[in-house]
Amino acid sequence: MNGAVAVARYTLVELSRRRILLVFFIIGALGIALIGIGLKVFSSAFSSVVITGPNGQAPDPAKLQRAFELGFVNDLIGALGFFALLIAFGIGMTVIYHDLDSGAAISIFSKPVSRAAFTVGKLAAAIVAMIAIVGVLSVEARLLMLLFGTGGLGVALWVETVAQVANAVTVMLLVMALSTWMNNIVAAIVAFVYNGVAGVVVVLHSQLIAGFLGDNQILKIGLNIAYWIVPHPLSSDVRRQIALAQYELFSSLSEPPPGSRAPTPEQIVSGIPGASGPGEILWWAFVVFLFACLVYYAVRRRQV
Amino acid sequence: MAAVVSVEGLRKRYRRRDPWAVDGVSFALEPGQAFGLLGPNGAGKSTVVKIIAGLLHPGEGRVQLFGSDPGNPAARKDLGFAPEDPDFPKFLRAPEVLDYFASLLGLDQTERKRRIPETLAFAGLEKERRQIRQFSKGMKQRLGIAQAILGRPKLLILDEPTADLDPLGRRDVRALIDQLKTSGVAILLNSHLLSEVELVCDTVAILAKGRVLKEGTMAEVVPEGRNLEDVFVELVQANQPQHDQLPSFITDKDKL
Repeated sequence: MNGAVAVARYTLVELSRRRILLVFFIIGALGIALIGIGLKVFSSAFSSVVITGPNGQAPDPAKLQRAFELGFVNDLIGALGFFALLIAFGIGMTVIYHDLDSGAAISIFSKPVSRAAFTVGKLAAAIVAMIAIVGVLSVEARLLMLLFGTGGLGVALWVETVAQVANAVTVMLLVMALSTWMNNIVAAIVAFVYNGVAGVVVVLHSQLIAGFLGDNQILKIGLNIAYWIVPHPLSSDVRRQIALAQYELFSSLSEPPPGSRAPTPEQIVSGIPGASGPGEILWWAFVVFLFACLVYYAVRRRQV
Repeated sequence: MAAVVSVEGLRKRYRRRDPWAVDGVSFALEPGQAFGLLGPNGAGKSTVVKIIAGLLHPGEGRVQLFGSDPGNPAARKDLGFAPEDPDFPKFLRAPEVLDYFASLLGLDQTERKRRIPETLAFAGLEKERRQIRQFSKGMKQRLGIAQAILGRPKLLILDEPTADLDPLGRRDVRALIDQLKTSGVAILLNSHLLSEVELVCDTVAILAKGRVLKEGTMAEVVPEGRNLEDVFVELVQANQPQHDQLPSFITDKDKL
C-alpha cells in the first residue's frame, strides 16, 4: 500500500513537470476560451438578424435565445471532449512507458515493492491527473457557459463532463496498456485507430437500434457482436435535449407540406446517443478493469 | 552462518532459441564477504545480478535471497542494488528520487530526514538542484550508489559501480565497500576493473559465455607472483575466440 502511494505521489510530481502535458493543457484551455469567446462574438453579431419561417413567422425570442445557448453548449461539449482525449493520449503515452523503457524500472523494482503496487500507483496517478486536468478545463467551460447561458442544462452538463472524463480514462488506459508492450508513439497510433473504429461501430449500432439500417439479420448480428467487443462511450442526455430543443424551435417556424407526416421528436432523437444505462456503465467499468489488468500483466512479465 | 545469497545451478536464456546467457552458475555469499563477479562482455554477469535482485526470472536452478525467492518484495528489503548505467524518473530531482525510494523502502519521516541529506552529501549531490534528465552519466552513477545504500542494506550489489566515476569517486566507492564489509554487509561486485576487484574482494568467480571458469578465494584464484588480470586474460582467451586482429585500414602503412 505504501509502495503504491509513493509511486502515485512521485508519478504525479513527474506528470506535473512534463512539457507535453503542459502544452496539451494550454492548447485545451486556450482552445476552449477561443471557441467560447468566438461563439459569443458570433451570436452577438447575429442577434439583430431577424429569422423568419417560410410563412414570414418570427420565432419566439426566448426560444431563439435558448437555441443559441444550446448550440454554444453543444460546441463547448465537443471541444471539451476533444481536449480530454488529447490529454488522455498525453498521459497514457508518458505515465508508465518512460519508467519501463529507461533504467528507472531497474532501480524501482529492486526495492521491496511489488509490481502490483507499482501498477496501482501508476494507474491511480494517471486517473487523478486526468480528472484534475479535465476538471480544470470543464470549470473553464462552465465559466464560459455562465457568460452565455447553459440552455437550462445545468445538472446534465456535469453528468456529461463526468462521462467525458470516463471516456478519456478508457482511451488513456488503452494507450498505457499498449505502451507497456510497444513504443509509446506506435501505441498512441494503434489506440487512435482502435478508438476511431470503436466510435464507428457504436454509431452504426445506434443507427441499427433506431431502425435506420434496415432489417438485415447478418448485419444485425455482426454489429451486435462488434458492439460488445469495443468500449462504449458513456454519455448524458445532453445531446438529445439539445437536438429536441432545436427541433422544437425550427419546427414551430414552418408547417409540414400538406399530406406529409412530420417525424415525431422521438424519431428525431432516436439516432442520437442518450443517457447511458446501467448496462453501459457496467460495460465501461469492465473495460477499464480489463485494460488495468492488461497493464498489470505487461508490468509483471516485463524483465528489465 | 546463513548465506545472504545462494545460487545453485542457475541457467537463464532470454528466448527459447537463444544460447544460455547463464549456464549452471553456483555460488553463495555470506555476511561481511565481498564477492567479485568477473567476465568479459556478454559473460552473463549482469544477468546473474539482475536475477538475484528479482528483476529477471531464473530459467532453471535455485536462487535464494535472505532465504526467500528474490521475486518476493519482502526478500528485497535488505538489498541495495546499484545497477550498471543507472537511470531514474527523469523529471525528479536527486532529493526527490531518494525520498521516493525511501518511501518504497518503508522508511519513516524521521529516518528520511536524517538519511537523505547525509546520503546526498556522500554522493556529492547535496547542492544539485537540477532534474535527473540534466544529470551527467557520472552524476547518475553516484545517485545510483546513493539510492543503493539508503536502506542500510545487508547485501549491496554493485554492477560496474565505478565505470563512469572520476578517480576521487572511485576512491570513495572503495572506502564505502571497506566500511560496509567491516560492518558485516555482504558485497557482490561486478566490475571490469580487475585491480579494483583484487583490492576489495575476498572471493571471485570468473565467468565466460555464462559458465563459471574459476571460482575461489583470491589466494586460490591468483597464484603467488601473478595478478588477477593475468589469470583473467589467460582463462578467458582459452575459452572464447579472440578478436585481436586490427582492421587492415589501420595496419596498412601505405595509406597513412
